[in-house]
Amino acid sequence: MKLSRTFLPAIAALLASVAMPGISNATVTVLGWPGGSEETALRATVEAYNAKPGIADADKVELLFFNREGFYDKLQADMAAGSNAFDINLVATYSIGRYAPYMEPVDLGSDAAKTFGESVLKTMQFDGKQYGVPTDLSLHFMYYRKDLIDALMKDDAAKAKYAEISKKYLDKELQPKDPDSWTWDDWAATALYFSKQVNSGSPVRYGTVLQMKNLLFNMMVFQSLPRSYGADWTDKDGNVTIDSDAYKTGLELYKKLYDAGASPKDSLSYEYPETNAAYSSGQTATALQWNAAAADLTSADKSPAVAEVTGIVPPPAGPNGRADHIHGLGLGLNKNAKNKDGAVKFLKWLATEDAALLYARSGGSPALAPDVVAKVAKERPDLVKLGEFASKYGYVMNGATSANALSIYELQAKEFTGYWSGQQSLDDALAHTRAGMQDLLKK
Amino acid sequence: MAIVKRAEERAYLTPLVGFLLLFLGFPAIVNLIYSVSTVSFQTLRSPSLSGFGNYLTVLADHGFWQAISFSMRFGILTALVECLLGLFLAIFLAPLLSKRAALMAPLMLPLMVAPAMIGLMYRLVLHEFAGPVPYYLFEWFGDSPAFLDINHAFWTLTVVETLQWTPFAFLLFYMAYVAVPLDVREAASLDGASGLKILWWIELPLMLPTLVIAFFIRFIDGFRVFDNVYALTGSGAGGSTTSLSIYIYQAFFKEGAIGKAVAASVILFLASLAVLYGLNWLAGRRRL
Repeated sequence: MKLSRTFLPAIAALLASVAMPGISNATVTVLGWPGGSEETALRATVEAYNAKPGIADADKVELLFFNREGFYDKLQADMAAGSNAFDINLVATYSIGRYAPYMEPVDLGSDAAKTFGESVLKTMQFDGKQYGVPTDLSLHFMYYRKDLIDALMKDDAAKAKYAEISKKYLDKELQPKDPDSWTWDDWAATALYFSKQVNSGSPVRYGTVLQMKNLLFNMMVFQSLPRSYGADWTDKDGNVTIDSDAYKTGLELYKKLYDAGASPKDSLSYEYPETNAAYSSGQTATALQWNAAAADLTSADKSPAVAEVTGIVPPPAGPNGRADHIHGLGLGLNKNAKNKDGAVKFLKWLATEDAALLYARSGGSPALAPDVVAKVAKERPDLVKLGEFASKYGYVMNGATSANALSIYELQAKEFTGYWSGQQSLDDALAHTRAGMQDLLKK
Repeated sequence: MAIVKRAEERAYLTPLVGFLLLFLGFPAIVNLIYSVSTVSFQTLRSPSLSGFGNYLTVLADHGFWQAISFSMRFGILTALVECLLGLFLAIFLAPLLSKRAALMAPLMLPLMVAPAMIGLMYRLVLHEFAGPVPYYLFEWFGDSPAFLDINHAFWTLTVVETLQWTPFAFLLFYMAYVAVPLDVREAASLDGASGLKILWWIELPLMLPTLVIAFFIRFIDGFRVFDNVYALTGSGAGGSTTSLSIYIYQAFFKEGAIGKAVAASVILFLASLAVLYGLNWLAGRRRL
């Protein structure tokens, strides 16, 4: 009897300590963006943080990753349910409005502005409050085959063919140009010239690879084209302006290229990985793709057919100059966090220069202030381009940080792909998008 | 005696009914409430009743009818092809399988793979630059169809679904085929009936209940398809491959329109129930 009185509570205490690690050994749990360079960089950074002297066991950081597919949907369900399974969660510029009600603003200290600069910090702000540390900046690069363009520029017969093709398809007699000074028409003419269906003498199968799948992220890639023609989601009074000439021009150009065979026939099912596969196969002359692909497309191991001959420039220019969609991924504080103090300590450290440089050296893509990025320029030249393009051409559409921004991208993806695939007219696609956006922006 | 029997029935049924009420009834009631409420992720615990507006919104939505159309076409076509192929294989392979039962295992392999994985596998296999199928078509014929473009996506999805689920229909039909009494076949044969006549007038009528059940099971599965279609084409250009399940998923998570999504799922549930009642009615008529 005595034994059971002593023994049973001891067993219970032992079981409790095993079953509830959160109580026996409190930590900071970070829910990160799974897969790719972001996960690799975050793992390395957290390892360094945990090894720092003075970090209490209770404040050590653990990582948690869902599947990438449907990540934001699962995150929304968890946060709406008041989950405290993680203290820090991923947040992105386009989803801040959606998740801000379940998060707490965080003061990152004065070091953050020195590390990232005010404009980058703003990608993590909502209603004037800072909701996260910007860990990765995303924008788009125009990847192109230097060898093909160089050969084109040197060959007079090829130039004549180029002019003939551009006259036929674009109604303008154009001459090949250095990609760094491309307009969208120059890019389109190049894409047509290098497409077997248009020019049977092309050394590659396609001139470009368009990401046209009915997917919200593809809309982010597409919109830099109409944006450079002056497009925006709304005017200054909040009226939806999706049915502008700028959007019409961009949408028509994509359709023209797709219909002419300048992009693979199944581009309507392409997203990030298919675009990488098409370009790295060596059968595509250009690709407008996320900056995150730079490491893979210029790696001799991963893309042996194109790594040595791939050039990178910003997206081409329109009448309003160049435009490059930017958004930031970052980490912020869950309102229901169990260890808020520990979480804030980690977030503040993550916003320091040392942590940001470590994150960059580990493969991440932080947007760093010019004097900070200079310290990793040799190892990460693409980060220099990232900062340069973001500061010169970066834009965020009016309403693109609203609570329904993701739904707006979804809507556009459905309607625009409907037009590109020939299921509806341009006017219908824009009218449906306008009606849907008016509704979504009102909510 | 009858009273005791009734009491026994109640005793046996109570746990089952309790289980159903607790684990199916409760969510069903919550969903019915959501379907007539204005509700979002922020107000999940305090929905406000708003009548049948969600149902009207769903019924007035062009996307919903597009999804119904896709699901109906996909469900009927895949069920039909799977059943025909399954029936052919069951009859054709029955003599072989009766001697080599171990061959059944590899025939069932496609059923072992998760539908989402099948979708991802074919997405890779059919990719113009990374996939072996387009690669060899280009090598041999100089061109390859775009398996996932707007013109071919529906047929590609149908083939993928058929390849995965034909073994299921085959399994059911094979079991039904070998269960046909041998003496009936022998009697017909002695009376001079040909193999084809035995199949048409004896074996198929005896297998009819299994044929009907297999068709409806495969139709319902095809009608509410999600995983492999979503992995292969997403919701398709302009929503062209949006099944009703994908429509509900998108309304719920992507649009945050919880009331609309739940209303659509109630409609899907009622439609499935109607199909099941139809099946039950058919089976009842046959017993009569």
